[in-house]
Amino acid sequence: MSAIEPTTTVFLAVLQLAAFVLFAPFLTATIRRTKALLQSRRGPGLLQPYRDLAKWWGKLPLESNVSGPVARYAPAFVLGAILTAALLVPLATSRTPLVSWGDLLVVVGLFAAARFALALAAMDAGSAFGGMGSSRDVAISALAEPGLVLALAGAAIAAGSSDLGAISAFGIGRGLDLLDPAHLLAAAAFGIVIIAETGHHPVDNPDTHLELTMIHEGMLLEASGRSLATLVFASELKLAVLAAIFSAAFFPFGAATELAPGPIALGLVLGFVKMLVIGQALALLDASVARARILTLPDLLGLASVLALAGLGIQVLLP
Amino acid sequence: MIVTPDGALGASLLPAFWVAALALFVLAAAVACVPRVSALSPTLSTAGSVCALALGCGLLLSGVSLTASGSHVLGLATISVRYDGLSAVFLAAFGLSAAAASLSVVGERPRSRPEGAAFPLFLASIVLVLGANAAFSFLLAWESMTLLSAFLVVGLRPTRAVVSAGNVYLAMTHVATAAILVAFALLAASSGGALDFVAWHAAAPGLAPVTRDVILVLVSAGFLTKAGAMPFHVWLPRAHPAAPSHVSAVMSGVMIKTGIYGLIRVIVDIMGGGPDGLGLLILGVGAVSAVMGVLYALMQHDMKRLLAFHSIENIGIILIGLGTALLLQARGATDLAALALAAAMFHSVNHAAFKSLLFLGAGAVVHATGLHDLNHLGGLGRKMPATMLVFGVGAAAISGLPPLNGFASEWLTFQGLFGAAGSGAVEPLARFGAAAAVGALALTTALAVACFVKATGVTFLGLPRSAAAAAASETTPPARFAMGFLAAVCVVLGLAAGPVASALLTVARSTMHAGAATATATVPAVTSTPGSGQAATYAALTVGLLVAAAIAVVAAASRRRTTARRVDTWTCGIAPKPAFQYTATSYAKPIQLFFRRILVPEREVHVEYVPGTRFPSSIRYRSEITLLLEERVLKPAHGLSLQAADFARKLQAGAIQLYIAYIVLAVLALLLWAR
Repeated sequence: MSAIEPTTTVFLAVLQLAAFVLFAPFLTATIRRTKALLQSRRGPGLLQPYRDLAKWWGKLPLESNVSGPVARYAPAFVLGAILTAALLVPLATSRTPLVSWGDLLVVVGLFAAARFALALAAMDAGSAFGGMGSSRDVAISALAEPGLVLALAGAAIAAGSSDLGAISAFGIGRGLDLLDPAHLLAAAAFGIVIIAETGHHPVDNPDTHLELTMIHEGMLLEASGRSLATLVFASELKLAVLAAIFSAAFFPFGAATELAPGPIALGLVLGFVKMLVIGQALALLDASVARARILTLPDLLGLASVLALAGLGIQVLLP
Repeated sequence: MIVTPDGALGASLLPAFWVAALALFVLAAAVACVPRVSALSPTLSTAGSVCALALGCGLLLSGVSLTASGSHVLGLATISVRYDGLSAVFLAAFGLSAAAASLSVVGERPRSRPEGAAFPLFLASIVLVLGANAAFSFLLAWESMTLLSAFLVVGLRPTRAVVSAGNVYLAMTHVATAAILVAFALLAASSGGALDFVAWHAAAPGLAPVTRDVILVLVSAGFLTKAGAMPFHVWLPRAHPAAPSHVSAVMSGVMIKTGIYGLIRVIVDIMGGGPDGLGLLILGVGAVSAVMGVLYALMQHDMKRLLAFHSIENIGIILIGLGTALLLQARGATDLAALALAAAMFHSVNHAAFKSLLFLGAGAVVHATGLHDLNHLGGLGRKMPATMLVFGVGAAAISGLPPLNGFASEWLTFQGLFGAAGSGAVEPLARFGAAAAVGALALTTALAVACFVKATGVTFLGLPRSAAAAAASETTPPARFAMGFLAAVCVVLGLAAGPVASALLTVARSTMHAGAATATATVPAVTSTPGSGQAATYAALTVGLLVAAAIAVVAAASRRRTTARRVDTWTCGIAPKPAFQYTATSYAKPIQLFFRRILVPEREVHVEYVPGTRFPSSIRYRSEITLLLEERVLKPAHGLSLQAADFARKLQAGAIQLYIAYIVLAVLALLLWAR
């Protein structure tokens, strides 16, 4: 790729960050709306996540007597890591706004860093629910991680580079030939991983506040005010970023391959559409599948690893 | 004795550092024996370690080697020492770990005079192992290192459990040394009786395939035992927790790395690589060690035992890198092989930094509370904020989180695997093996996050679970300074991963006797800043600064001027108690359930009821996991070998007639055979 003007880089980075930040709560809203409609409810309006964030942002925070600096500063670490990840994935264009700063492993690592900070903060108040959520979250993520990395590794090995921009550009270059069995298996694996990483049915229920069943919400139980707003926003953003990674790695068509206003605008709109489609699939799952017992989760998440490995096997053993 | 640097370039100070390091260690040992000044010993060890660190870094920066030889020292054989790039990498790792470990006990009197003297001598023996350039020097230093560390584990007044740990350690490492000895004898025999490594390297291409394979297997088994890789790990979780924390820091941070050093020195440097099978074998051993090591670590609630199992995990990650390198080297993919070898070396250095830090942190906690058991700790962060901060940095680094050092080396290890899985030069089955190892490595890093959230959270956060934990106080200033130093090293090595990785790549290429890189553009790279046109990049410095900036912006934006209202933690309306919190055992429970086929947990719940009611008056809970390999493979094998020994004893009944009969039978058999 030829050298790019610094101003272009800054412009693309700001555009992408703004797009993610403004769009992420909307994505969550559409999921809730569809889920409500499927359950014959009207559900909250599409602006409700924004109103929630604004409400928490202005509230007087309550802090536990027990918690200290970890609970206070962890939300900044969580959101900081995910915001950085949002700049390292392709959205409107087939390249990342920050070209060759980091590859898919850096994004996965940043997610892990966010998880580390959140899981640690959940234990700060000495609450049983925090510990419960934290311990379940790290355990489920551990099961999901091999599927996540193996699925992306399949795309990376096919493209000859683990850079998400290169993977996306390679996919666009191959056209519909891209959708071979190995690729589809990896995409299926990544889909399962998205469910686990964003806490949707059958892994977790994003709307539950029944103490003993919470996973992600359990970790947020002691957070309030701006901490709560930061953490909730971070999880909405994470969903959007994961959806963008899915699009870039497995269905990159429509992303701009040249840096001109028209294609970029089109790519951005198509990027949003792809995210919304993924969100609707999650809503459909939420409404139609019951939550699984935690003991059966290894079957589901193991399936993701096996699918991804099978994809890699096809790729490597049957060239 | 002549000490010369190979190059010129401002390297005149380097021999002085080497002599100074050894002299300071010997002096520290001598001082430890004099009661009035014995408290000075750690200071001298620290100075010696800093000299070793300076030597390692100096050699790396200047790119020269340091050679020393003395003929017929002790009237036995030639002592020959040569520190090249590979030695320098491990020497620098040694310097970091040993300096911090010695510093953490500055001003303290050793537990006993012999132990005080043994520690600096142990450090000196590691320095010599890393430089030994001939069989005799190597084995002399190797054996001193083993015996001194065994003494440090056992100490002067051992308990029964510690004696058993020491025996297991001594027995296993001596079998390992025997394997190495036989391999060295074979190498010497095939190179016309020469004992130095250079001659062996020259003779290596002419080895018969069978001899070569026997040597490779023996060397691998020997050094893998020292490294604590599965299935040779049995000694490690026993020995490391038994030693004092600063000794564990060096044992876990550096001593087990001498096994890795030995593997690279003999297999990569001297033998010039091995067949495909060897690479796959080491890759497999690495993957199993990594996953099983971290799983067992998660199941521990003794802090030091937990860290010891993590050493097995990290050795596994290093071996994944090394195995990938061997796989690629065997197929002539030199650029990628060098990348994977550099990953293994980088992770060795990183592990020396964060594992020493974590062992010193564990030592600080034990020092402050007298407790090893995580389930009795809690809330220490309020009493020991500095320790919590540095322990947290170490925990994040070992969990492989960007932008710290553990992530950079794991990134390179992953890239090596991606390269091997995607390389057309490698056999399809081996490529699939590399792909499967990607999954194992991903699982390992995610489980490490779980384990270190557990270790850090249960120890430092929440409410104290015992009176001793509630009464804890911050550790000594030297220990804090030592841990702070290592935490800073973790951050700096993470942000400066670009230059560090490129220096290690140079060392890797020269260790593999490969010339300058041909087409670097196709090989991924860790850099400082983006945009160098590689296949994939991790711009460590800029990504690190970006993350830091993002965190700072969010933290500044979400800060409120009004202070938060303090309330009780929500416990469904009753007063919060420490017993409500998740313990280390309960934290690991989901993972224990998920992996129950591998961990085979046994649980025993004993409930006593208030007479006449169904209200429990006491509940006792015991839960243990089965160490499958130990219980199902090693113990039966051990039993078989005992039975064989019993049988042999029956043959040796002691009656003279029997022996005469044996001799007659043997002669008959020989006559028949020679007919």
